[in-house]
Amino acid sequence: MQLFWLSVGFGFVTASVLAIAAVGLSLQFGITNYVNFAYGDFMALGGFFAYVLNNEVFHLDIWIALVIGSLAMGLFAVLVNRLILGPFARRFSTSHYLLIVTFGLSLIMLNAAYSIWGADVRFYRMPIASALTIGPLRFTRNQLIVIAIAVALMLAVHTLLKATRLGKSMRAMSDNTTLAMTSGIDTKRITTITWFLSGTLAGVAGTVLGIGEGNLTPASGELFLFVIFAAVILGGIGSIYGAMGGALLIGLATEISAAFINPAYKLDIAFVILILTLLIRPSGLIARPGTT
Amino acid sequence: MVYYVFTLVFFCFDYFILAMGLNIQYGETGILNFAYIGFVAIGAYFTGVFSLHSSAGTGQHYILGLGLPFPVNLLLGGVATMAFAFVVALITLRRLRTDYLAIVLISLSLVLYDFCNNFVSIFNGADGLYNVPEPFAKALGLTVNSFIPFFACVTAVISLLMWFVMSRITRAPLGRTFRAIRDDDVVAAALGKNVFGMRLKSMLIGSFYAGIGGGLLIQFGGSFNPTAWLPGETFVVFAVLIVGGAGNNIGMFVGALLVETLLIHLPAFLPEIPGHPGLIEYFDNAVVGMVLMVMLWFRPQGVVPARLRRTSSFGVIARGDDASPTVSAHIAVESPLTGHE
Repeated sequence: MQLFWLSVGFGFVTASVLAIAAVGLSLQFGITNYVNFAYGDFMALGGFFAYVLNNEVFHLDIWIALVIGSLAMGLFAVLVNRLILGPFARRFSTSHYLLIVTFGLSLIMLNAAYSIWGADVRFYRMPIASALTIGPLRFTRNQLIVIAIAVALMLAVHTLLKATRLGKSMRAMSDNTTLAMTSGIDTKRITTITWFLSGTLAGVAGTVLGIGEGNLTPASGELFLFVIFAAVILGGIGSIYGAMGGALLIGLATEISAAFINPAYKLDIAFVILILTLLIRPSGLIARPGTT
Repeated sequence: MVYYVFTLVFFCFDYFILAMGLNIQYGETGILNFAYIGFVAIGAYFTGVFSLHSSAGTGQHYILGLGLPFPVNLLLGGVATMAFAFVVALITLRRLRTDYLAIVLISLSLVLYDFCNNFVSIFNGADGLYNVPEPFAKALGLTVNSFIPFFACVTAVISLLMWFVMSRITRAPLGRTFRAIRDDDVVAAALGKNVFGMRLKSMLIGSFYAGIGGGLLIQFGGSFNPTAWLPGETFVVFAVLIVGGAGNNIGMFVGALLVETLLIHLPAFLPEIPGHPGLIEYFDNAVVGMVLMVMLWFRPQGVVPARLRRTSSFGVIARGDDASPTVSAHIAVESPLTGHE
């Protein structure tokens, strides 16, 4: 039973990382309407930005490094959209090409990260924290901060989408880009802002993934990518709230299952859920209007 | 030196086969198979275990171990890949749109890798398979040095044979139906084509090619290592396809020569930079990604563009060497007249 509660605790931490990543991916998918297969590498790169600030230059505190690294990742994402993905998206109407381009981008980013940082496992420099007990659950201080960051970011995204003019424009664009454009919304500006948000969230997710798992390699985002996909599809692709719910379910399911079966297969649980979702309810828990 | 040249020859012809398999799936039918290298891995694994003898006493864990002779194990490896593809296609091809399909397939590819790496009792975990018997090596008394030129030639013959079959398929009404589905599946369905059935067929043919290509890889190297089947490897095959020219079998050979031989394997002979293990390889992989993007931007039709075909229903003899401006309109009209499979 103790093992069960321990895994529930881990489940909340994984769900936090997943929720941040899934919302970042969904935001961008909703606006630009193609899947970014390089998202896992965005995460890893964001994690390494924080690592450089934390360990190599300035030796900043990990949480400050997280903020600066993530914002840098946001700018990087804007740059990638301006220089590579945006031009390709304008030129090719079929999504085939864009999927191949983001797949290629993933290969370039992964190998660039390997070239710079090598294949060694890296660790963040952070204070060793004692465990805290909340009810039957036990967390370290860092894990609690990760969960708090996720909750705060989810609330922030919710406020952004529902209470601001920018969020309203984003939702309009996500529903129908052409209609949004004719209504006077500056779609190019919204796209840029969305890439910035998506990149920043990827940076945060990559860093907290490194904090949660205790290590960081250039490939750590790559394997995590399809867990994000599982969460996004379970929630309904393009739906922000679905992505949050999907992340919570997948996070808990993978970690709790690890208490009962070989933990090496916990990723496969996510895949089984992905397949079952597609067979039983392909539109996801929260279907996006106008899509099937 | 001869050894190196024939290694390059082998990889060129092997990737020719792999690219043809992906070409019928993506180039002809429009199925964006991002799990392609997973199918190659399945083919390699089964070819390996069909040719290895019983696993007792070898320190390895694998299933079957039938000890079959060379062409038989290769063919069965291809068939096993088709069986796997059949299951995957039944689950995924029926109702998933392009981007969902791509997500599921890339996830499948990652899971297959993860599963192979961890499941010791079937896949021998991260060690993979090794000491796979080299075909004909004993019978012909080949040494390590003479085996490589010999097997490169065997692969060349097999790939030409498979190219001949593939060029028949793509020219047949079946291939035309595939292209009709690629260009507009709704139109094809409205004209009475079973879109799912056709996609399934395309998937199965492509997987057979993937299985054979994978089987030849394991027979050439004698071992199976899960890290060689990371999802990024699929991208190399896509690069071969795009550089060569999607929808064109000859282009696949040109692509294999340019990408696989010149870009991937030739730099592997460069000396390591001291203090930076693997740097050349990483850099090389990144260059492949860049080449592909540059190619997609400046010449998306590839080095050897696909030829557009007309049929006799237009009063033009079906030679396939004249350019016509819109391919989809022609196919939409031609398929009900000629396609009856």
